Amino acid sequence: MVIRQKDIRRAVVYAALFIMSSSATGWLASCSSNNCPLENFVSCNFYFYDSEGTPISYMGEITVKTLLPGMKTVYTYRKLGEQTVVKEWRDESLVELGYTETVSETRRDTVLVNRASSRGNIEIGLGYFQKCDTLIFSYSEISSSDTIKIMHESYPHVDLPECGAYRFHTLTGVTSTEAGIDHVEIANPTVNYEGYENIRIYFNGVAE
Amino acid sequence: MRISEYISMVWRNRRIALAVAFLCCGGMRVLAQTANPGEPQKPTKYVAVEVEKPKLLLFQGFTLSADVFGPLVYAFSDYGNIEAALRLNLKNTYFPVAEVGYGLCDKTDLNTYIKYKTSAPYLRIGCDVNFLKDKFQDNRLFVGLRYGVSSFNYDISGPDMKDPIYGGAEPFGFDGISTTSQWIEIVLGVQVKVWRNFHMGWSVRFKSEMSTKESLYAKPYYIPGYGTTTGGTVWGGTYNLIFDLNWGKKKGKVTATPVNVEVREAISSENTTEKTVEQDAEGESEGL
Repeated sequence: MVIRQKDIRRAVVYAALFIMSSSATGWLASCSSNNCPLENFVSCNFYFYDSEGTPISYMGEITVKTLLPGMKTVYTYRKLGEQTVVKEWRDESLVELGYTETVSETRRDTVLVNRASSRGNIEIGLGYFQKCDTLIFSYSEISSSDTIKIMHESYPHVDLPECGAYRFHTLTGVTSTEAGIDHVEIANPTVNYEGYENIRIYFNGVAE
Repeated sequence: MRISEYISMVWRNRRIALAVAFLCCGGMRVLAQTANPGEPQKPTKYVAVEVEKPKLLLFQGFTLSADVFGPLVYAFSDYGNIEAALRLNLKNTYFPVAEVGYGLCDKTDLNTYIKYKTSAPYLRIGCDVNFLKDKFQDNRLFVGLRYGVSSFNYDISGPDMKDPIYGGAEPFGFDGISTTSQWIEIVLGVQVKVWRNFHMGWSVRFKSEMSTKESLYAKPYYIPGYGTTTGGTVWGGTYNLIFDLNWGKKKGKVTATPVNVEVREAISSENTTEKTVEQDAEGESEGL
């Protein structure tokens, strides 16, 4: 094969044009696409087991609340023969109806999971700037609730500037009360958007 | 002519003299084999042909080149590089090369307002192989391999991070995160002579990251010399201005030396046959 100098010169020019045009196309394409993770919600994943370690789906309803920092003012209204009413603001109409008003300070809380049923796992976000999260698990079958405390270290993480900043966590410890829970353990201490199984909750009883 | 001068002339042309001597012996043998009694002998002519097979010397000088594509990219984007390369020319075929550059990136994403900044030198070493059959021409078509390394610091910062559940905010920013990256590149390119020692050429490079020491807080978005890290592999390119340096190179572009002398026997008849002296010599030795 004979390659002439003229052909190579032409190849150099065409290649330069190709590189420039493909680069321009790449820049244009980059305006409409990115390489960010599809699952971009950082959550601590709790998986449910029976007391012997068999994975289960919890058939009842579970509600999870967490305690927020700071206190809040609660107004409690009581009247003989009527249901007690709790409000976060003052309701003078109830006072006019003969209710007795009691003002108190309580811990702030918020609902993270509301009445989840038939679930084998739940996902809960952890606090960014605190080292211990307190979660309150309430069950539809039993009146008492469980408190799970999760100790963790948190740090910011950026994969690509276009994907934004996330807060990852490393679990350092977990404890629980024993109303409906047999025990808890850490399965994987890394909490990120990879969806690892982080904490195992072993409920009382054995799956049939 | 003196006898001593005659001897020295014969000594200078000893190959030809030797060839003619062999040819005489071999020719007589051929005549003895082909001539039939009673038939007139065909005229025979012996022609000595000196064939020159040119040979390239190993060292063909150095080549210095500068990349203009990197600065062009920086003019139209958030990152780019300046780069120079020094390559050794061995037989116009093998080109061990060292590429030194300085990469820089200053990017702020318009959606997330996260800012990434770095600037650092990098080094690539490797070798190109010229695949053109004619090694004497000044054009080159080459394929090569590179190993690249860069040790650099980068800064990353962004808006305050707000906790969506528990509230509160904290500024986000890290300066001087230190890391080292290594990668390999497969290079395909051409270069052509433009004027005297000045060449131009381009290369396309397929890059694959080998290792990067990752920080807990942020991955490097841009690695000097490698490019952006949005994928596991990266395509890159250079457009080079190339100067041949003749440091230590012997004068003349290429050095050709005669390596063989071939003597052919040409019989001026209808059924012309050709035999080399070496073949005849072998025939003689077999006969012995």
